Amino acid sequence: MVPKREQRYTILVADDSEMNRSILRSMLEESYDIIEAEDGLQAVAILQQREQEISLVLLDIVMPNLDGFGVLSTMNKYNWIDSVPVIMISAESTHAFIERAYDMGVTDYISRPFDMMVVRRRVINTIMLYAKQRRLAAMVNEQIYQKEKVNNLMISILSHIVEFRNEESGLHVMHIQTMTEILLKSLMRKTDRYKLDRETINLISNASTLHDVGKICIPSEILNKPGRFTDEEFAIMKGHSQMGADMMKGVPFQDEPLVKYAYEICRWHHERYDGRGYPDGLKGEDIPISAQVVSLADVYDALTSARVYKPAHSHEKALSMILNGECGAFQPLLLECLVESSDIVQREMAVDTVVRSDQRAAENTAVEVAQYEELSTTDRTLRILEQERVIHQFFKELSQDILFEYTTTPPMLALSAQGVRRLGLEAATVDPYHNKQVQEMVDLDRLAELSQLLQSTTPEAPVVEFDFHIRLEGRSVPIHITSRAMWSSEDPPQYTGAIGKIDLCQEKEAIS
Amino acid sequence: MTIQECYAALEGDYQEVLGRLYSDALVQKFVLKFLSDQSFQLLESSLKEENYEDAFRAAHTLKGVSQNLSFTKLYHSSHEITEALRTKNYDQAHQLLATVAADYAQTAAAIKAYQGG
Repeated sequence: MVPKREQRYTILVADDSEMNRSILRSMLEESYDIIEAEDGLQAVAILQQREQEISLVLLDIVMPNLDGFGVLSTMNKYNWIDSVPVIMISAESTHAFIERAYDMGVTDYISRPFDMMVVRRRVINTIMLYAKQRRLAAMVNEQIYQKEKVNNLMISILSHIVEFRNEESGLHVMHIQTMTEILLKSLMRKTDRYKLDRETINLISNASTLHDVGKICIPSEILNKPGRFTDEEFAIMKGHSQMGADMMKGVPFQDEPLVKYAYEICRWHHERYDGRGYPDGLKGEDIPISAQVVSLADVYDALTSARVYKPAHSHEKALSMILNGECGAFQPLLLECLVESSDIVQREMAVDTVVRSDQRAAENTAVEVAQYEELSTTDRTLRILEQERVIHQFFKELSQDILFEYTTTPPMLALSAQGVRRLGLEAATVDPYHNKQVQEMVDLDRLAELSQLLQSTTPEAPVVEFDFHIRLEGRSVPIHITSRAMWSSEDPPQYTGAIGKIDLCQEKEAIS
Repeated sequence: MTIQECYAALEGDYQEVLGRLYSDALVQKFVLKFLSDQSFQLLESSLKEENYEDAFRAAHTLKGVSQNLSFTKLYHSSHEITEALRTKNYDQAHQLLATVAADYAQTAAAIKAYQGG
């Protein structure tokens, strides 16, 4: 076994003077891995690629291309400043200068001339402080994640017990939960009438799994009777909503919103919007939204699942039966949500539900952690984001396509491994418009046209297709670009760059 | 020539730099390296072309480097020209260049003499 190497921290030294970088390097290289950047743009490019592994930036202020303040503002923009501490190094000692740097998030300040002892002390202190904070953040994150997971697990066990007695698979409750969440999210986007937010949606979808809990009070010979119910049996069956509601009233946690929603759902998930449901015959908006949504989810899942007495209906068939009013009466807006969520409903219901519930725990962790103000700053390091990054990176490396990412500030072009191989460009090109290799390859006017086209898209319809020629190995090669403009979530949205795929058309032509 | 004599010749402060870098070997290494630093040349050419932005950065770098190495005399003149360029006193900067050039020449000559043994 390879012995575990003691962890070495990596420091990025950004200074335009080779001499200064080298003095800092010789002061620090014994204990740290050093990466050097000759100017601000290089520093940003390195951070963009390796932000996760960099423990500290030593930043000069006066630099060509992009100065230290430019680097700081980019680090703020991408939130790197929250996880990567910066120590400013400069001979600039005017008060306003230092204050501005502190305002932009630098942790400490080293003035020239460098004193080896001071440099080493400040570096180790800063790194330790941040390392400790990162460890703490990871611990809290882990605990919240576990808590959320155990919560979901308990609810899921309880629901499965109910299902088990009903001789159903347990998939039903999972489906109801998923559907409820999809419908509520769609509803939240349409109206603020119900004061829905992420937390409420989460609570209602969790509570939805308890909708049939009252069935444990129904004698099993009725509950699982193969043939048709007699009127008397049907009356007993119908009692499950009231019984579920009674159970929820009987639990000791009456102030818990989860219990309140579970009560509403148990009691009223068989009401109809036209007032012809049971047990109370509530009508329209007198039925709480939680129960309305679960009711629709319940009907949809019953239609699309196979039962002893009927095959599973397709999504389209189920939809048309519901819209025709063959299976109950629902609020029109809710039906609109169902129709508009068709794609996502079909996709999500097909996903393995165990995977989904774990995914839900992870999502909720991210949201909950974000509520701790102290920790929200480090949420970039959260498990889920890290996983996303690993997945994205992995697929990008695996892909046989030429994929690219372009950011406007700082101007930088990143290519997939295939892109590097086929086009002969660097994996990351800073300021591509002024890069010689890029200039030799493409007509800058056409590139500007593409850029114009992307910037005239909207966040709703961000994709463009574009054809032009590039020069490759001395030949003019037609290419086709499919690209998606990236818009920020600000209001109004800002154009932040584009991602996309480049197809070289030469192979096709050679065949024909 | 010893490193102390070299510092005396370029009117720097050897004790001060040793106090900060803690090692005679490091001081020697960086003093020799100074000869390959192009900041002065860049300052001179940018001033000639009236490219004051580059001139400011070059002066600023020269000042930082000489400060780090305790080249006291060169530090003072490069500091002055940096401030002149920062405050856009370009006439003054052009006048100050002669002093910086003389100090740079003195420094470079001392280091070359030290290098030669």
